[in-house]
Amino acid sequence: MISEGLIVEQGVSAGDRWVTVEAGAIREALSALKSDGYTVLAFLTCVDHLDDSSRQWPARYEVVYQLRNQEKPEQIRVRAFVDGDPPHIDSVHDLFPPANWEERETYDMFGIVFSDHPDLSRILMPDDWVGHPLRRDYPVGGEPVEFSEEHELWQTAPEKA
Amino acid sequence: MTDTIAEGVTVSRTGETGAFGGELLTVNFGPHHPSTHGVLRLIVDLDGEQVRSLKPVIGYLHTGIEKQMEALRWQQGVTVTDRHDYLSPPINNLAYALAVEKLMGVVVPPRADALRVIMSELTRLSSHLVWMGTSGLELGAMSMLMYCFRERDTILDMNEEISGFRMHTSYIRPGGVMADATPRFLEMLDRFIHDMPGHVDEYENLLTNNPIWRSRTIGIGHLSAEDATVLGATGPMLRGSGVPWDLRRSMPYSGYESYDFEIATSDLCDCYGRYLVRIKEMRESVKILRQALDRLPDGPVNVDDRKMLPPPREELETSMEAVIHHFKLFTEGYSVPPGDVYVAVESGRGENGCYVVSDGTHKPRRVKFRSASFVNLQALERMALNHMVADMVAIIGTADTVLGDCDR
Repeated sequence: MISEGLIVEQGVSAGDRWVTVEAGAIREALSALKSDGYTVLAFLTCVDHLDDSSRQWPARYEVVYQLRNQEKPEQIRVRAFVDGDPPHIDSVHDLFPPANWEERETYDMFGIVFSDHPDLSRILMPDDWVGHPLRRDYPVGGEPVEFSEEHELWQTAPEKA
Repeated sequence: MTDTIAEGVTVSRTGETGAFGGELLTVNFGPHHPSTHGVLRLIVDLDGEQVRSLKPVIGYLHTGIEKQMEALRWQQGVTVTDRHDYLSPPINNLAYALAVEKLMGVVVPPRADALRVIMSELTRLSSHLVWMGTSGLELGAMSMLMYCFRERDTILDMNEEISGFRMHTSYIRPGGVMADATPRFLEMLDRFIHDMPGHVDEYENLLTNNPIWRSRTIGIGHLSAEDATVLGATGPMLRGSGVPWDLRRSMPYSGYESYDFEIATSDLCDCYGRYLVRIKEMRESVKILRQALDRLPDGPVNVDDRKMLPPPREELETSMEAVIHHFKLFTEGYSVPPGDVYVAVESGRGENGCYVVSDGTHKPRRVKFRSASFVNLQALERMALNHMVADMVAIIGTADTVLGDCDR
């Protein structure tokens, strides 16, 4: 199990068990879980909490790892919050091989830099693309919608993108 | 020379010397090659005819579906889920619907669950039929396409009857299904269940003992059970390597625990094994369909919650409250309590998951589709190394990737 010192917060969301760990200790936490039987990485992704008022978030980006123990079967979600420009977190491609492409996708879509990844390049967008499309401040279509009741900050094109 | 693809998975990049004396030739295979099942591009290093390294390049069918979901209301998102794995729309709907329902704490009525199972199994059949038709075509069994698409068309007719749409049905929605099954649909389904085992026999007659098919698939694309697990493969790719992991049995949803069916596995670990798994799965799907149809419960097909689903048309004429609910749902939509949830369902290709994050507003904060093709494609290099270029076509074929699913 993950040692108590690494756990920042834990709980259950709609029946799914989750645990938040320090971003710097993500490899330690995931390898502890792996030796505990959680050998399958179902997916890895990121959530952008820009302007999310549903609660207080420790940082803007939340990197999410869904692990599974296929013997029992049981699942656990590991979260790590990262900030910075660009945000950094350690790569886990050697612990969980499917993470290789998932980390490339997360880099492509959110600009999270996974340290020590063997080939951190864009995977879905073209290589010369500017910006990271799934960030909340990246617009859909890029045209501001005038007179819209639902006009939100992220619908307006950022100056740089 | 050995190389580590992933922890615990090593490959050998040397074999008998090819025609060019070991000199490597880099070839672009795709993205427009007809046998890459869509727009998959492979950069292969060839030593004569033998594959020495293979790098899949994806993203040609990226449509920004996850981004679109964030701009749509919860109930509008269903139409977008149809379109990522375009060979199994109802299964994608199901993953999304189950995720939203789990967040909202909604339980659908038994008849809706049974209809969802029926649509999922029909979809699995039609997806396997497309796979078998196109893979047969690629490996020289041209008539397979005609036979398989004949039955697939029957399934599409049923889709049309129950939802009004042949392919992108949007039939399964958060809170239930779009409409109840019509008597004609149940009749068509009954006839289909009666005929389908005979059709599967027909496909087996054409392929299972066909010497060309056997020599093109047996021993090709070997993927051991350990490698398949480590590389995260799911679905027929994993079961074709002898691992009995099926989400319908291991982590049941929509009442799959109450159906009697076997998990198809094969210990051959090659393309032929994956073919046998899919054939067996088609027979098991028909079994599930028969059970679901025989004990289809009566009752409503949607939750009785006016805050989530619009009122019936006839109520709008007499009830002011119904009009208000209707107006609210179609202008603002409903809000889902803050939180996140991951739901995985078994599609024809493997684990089709949906991770949904809500911030309490009427649009999702984040929707992530965990697609089986995306993960399964990473095992391609392991399977194709030191095979001939022509075998690569068999390997891509039996991996059954849908590029729309892969790129989303």
